[in-house]
Amino acid sequence: MSGHSHAEGVLPHEPEKATLEGRNKVLGFWLFLGGETVLFGTLFSVFIALRDQVNGGPTASELFSLPVVAAATLILLTSSLTSVFAIQAMHRNQPRTLVNWLLVTILLGLGFLGLEIYEFVEYAHEGHTFAASAFSTSFYSLVGFHGGHVAFGILWISLLIWQVLRRGLTVVTAPKVYVAGLYWHFIDVVWVFIFTVVYLMGKVG
Amino acid sequence: MTADHAAAVEQPKKRVRHEGPKKHIIAYIFSLILTILAFAVVITGEVRASFVYAMLVLMACVQVFIQMAFWMHMKDRGHTFPIIGILSGVVIVFTMIIMAVYWTWW
Repeated sequence: MSGHSHAEGVLPHEPEKATLEGRNKVLGFWLFLGGETVLFGTLFSVFIALRDQVNGGPTASELFSLPVVAAATLILLTSSLTSVFAIQAMHRNQPRTLVNWLLVTILLGLGFLGLEIYEFVEYAHEGHTFAASAFSTSFYSLVGFHGGHVAFGILWISLLIWQVLRRGLTVVTAPKVYVAGLYWHFIDVVWVFIFTVVYLMGKVG
Repeated sequence: MTADHAAAVEQPKKRVRHEGPKKHIIAYIFSLILTILAFAVVITGEVRASFVYAMLVLMACVQVFIQMAFWMHMKDRGHTFPIIGILSGVVIVFTMIIMAVYWTWW
């Protein structure tokens, strides 16, 4: 701790950028997001190439129900906004408010995940299982991979809440919270392309 | 030297003005409008499919641009390297998407 503590325990403005370690963490995370972009991009290109290979199973336009997708989209978009509020509370040095907004964010994340699980179970009942066709495999790979990211984000932010409550907001914990916020926005950005390319374009046919 | 170092970490003497939530709420409302428009285009869909595709991709890109600029702070100073990092990923993705569309659908 001593290496990072500063005069009178006052947290600097934008504590995530106050130390070289913090700045490097943010930059490194952006490079990681570049790699994540490529990962999701490969899954998108596979889905685009295989989306009509239904092998006698249900097609995209028969399968998808837009109200569920719209609800999931609204939930995830709102959770992205609440994580912005969390970072703003961090910049005002209000750990309590920060933790509350992070809690709202993970609750919304859990709601999104619940809807997705419900959706997948419904599809499986209609014969749209993972191995049913090239369409179903590429669909579950892409959307499930995104859902996995949401689940990991919930776990990650939960641990960060625990750490902020235990150690308080310092120049060590602040970059972690900031980077988790970036991750959460990135998940929402990927979802924008998923609801566009997978669901809405699937409905159009 | 030590004075410089202390100044770098200490709270600046002048009061720092924190940005309010206003522009983030505006970004949220714009994202919401673009999302509703995208769903509306598909639900009411009397338009040609190729036109709908183009509209959807355009609206998704605008929404992602807004969110990355404001929520991920990419419009703020000192984001040259983050932009290079994420753009190098985007370039590869575009190549793959164009390849998939070209090989399968043309």
